[in-house]
Amino acid sequence: MRSRDVGISLLLVVLAVVAQTAVFGDGRINPFGAAPAAVLVVVLACGRYVDPEPALLLGFTAGMLLDLLGGAPLGLWAMAYTVVIYVALRFRSRADDGPLMVGLGVLLLTLMANALFLIIGTLFGERFFTSTAVIKNTLLPAVYNLLVAAVVFPLVSRLIGARQRLGWSA
Amino acid sequence: MQSFQRFDRSTSLMIALLVVAFLLATFDVRSAGDGIGTTMRDGAQTLFSPLQNAASAVTRPVVGFIDAISDIASLREENEALRAENEALQAQVQQFDIVQAEVEFLRELNELTAPDDLPTVPARIGSPGASTFDLIRWIDKGSDDGISIGDAVINTQGLVGRVDQVFAETARVRLIVDPFVKVSVRDKITNQTGIVTGANTDLILRMFEADVVREGDVIVTAGSRFPAGIVVGTVEQTAADDAGFGLDSTVIPAVNFSRVDYVKVIVGYSPLDAELAEQQAEQEADEPVEGPTDPTETTLSTEGEEDAAGEGSG
Repeated sequence: MRSRDVGISLLLVVLAVVAQTAVFGDGRINPFGAAPAAVLVVVLACGRYVDPEPALLLGFTAGMLLDLLGGAPLGLWAMAYTVVIYVALRFRSRADDGPLMVGLGVLLLTLMANALFLIIGTLFGERFFTSTAVIKNTLLPAVYNLLVAAVVFPLVSRLIGARQRLGWSA
Repeated sequence: MQSFQRFDRSTSLMIALLVVAFLLATFDVRSAGDGIGTTMRDGAQTLFSPLQNAASAVTRPVVGFIDAISDIASLREENEALRAENEALQAQVQQFDIVQAEVEFLRELNELTAPDDLPTVPARIGSPGASTFDLIRWIDKGSDDGISIGDAVINTQGLVGRVDQVFAETARVRLIVDPFVKVSVRDKITNQTGIVTGANTDLILRMFEADVVREGDVIVTAGSRFPAGIVVGTVEQTAADDAGFGLDSTVIPAVNFSRVDYVKVIVGYSPLDAELAEQQAEQEADEPVEGPTDPTETTLSTEGEEDAAGEGSG
């Protein structure tokens, strides 16, 4: 049953990557010049129900897919998402405290993912900090992710969590 | 205890994954576009392109509608004119406008010719990259259509970017506002040359020998890696070279990158060919000519004469 949940999670991540690259972004749905990081929300939502090891692999895979379809060097998003999902796993029992805590978690973890990506990318020679737009591109996706989370978390809860009801504890 | 062990295992796994990602990033940066990274990207593009195109096609009307709503300022006048109409008609008109604008744009793009009538390949923007930090566009044409790395990408407004990665059926375009992209340019008014470098939203202009650039001056490609004469943008602020070390200013790109759906890729351009053609034209101009001549035929522009230092993308 658990492998089936991992399979569903992987499918959701792939769908999120397709949506992220085809629907959101510059020239698509991009309010105020920034787009939500929908893939991260899906990873966090799925990570709530699957075991820690598959959750980490899921985060790594999602990051790698973004790297493969993006313009930055391979592995940057993979590193950022792996660290973020690891942190999320550490604190996932707090999600039982309610939607407010989930929202706060999504907000902070998105900020963390973007900040990590910027820092690691800069270490690998990317030039993210040549414009003040970098602040907007870091903050706005975190806010947008709150809206995405409001849709994704209940959906994932229905698809996976309804059968498991494991909560956030491992 | 079991929970502690599980997290202990997950910590080890996280470190292992970080090492793998770090190695991949190092290899990818070191290989500079070749090697395992390109192979993996090619595979991912092959797998995801059909899904992305399908998702784009399905969501295009919705995306266009949301995009129009987000641009409230420019829609205000249109909204006033449409106030008397009912909601159903409004939706139809908006949909019609989107389609008409696309048709109009495609017509203009079809009539767009590259400098020196160089061959072009029309392409559609497939996806804009994976995050808000990407200054790239994926197009639905690749090496099968004759596109190669370094080709200039234009639309009706001007220079969009240059192809920096090519696969069989897709290619990646790095926009000129990317900080890695440098373009050798010429001030169309003063004919002085310089270099523009991407700065995420606009361009930084560096002129080495110009005394002054004025606000509103049109900046075009000077013609080394890119064909000469393609509009790059307009100077945002007047700047003067007071100390004799060159001058810096900013350039507003001619292209609105958020609105680029279709582009043309200039294929078959070689800086060497351009230079040879120019030399040939110079020789022909030096030779005595019989009978009346058309002055436009013997006029040599300075396009193509530039330093080309550092042009291209890093």
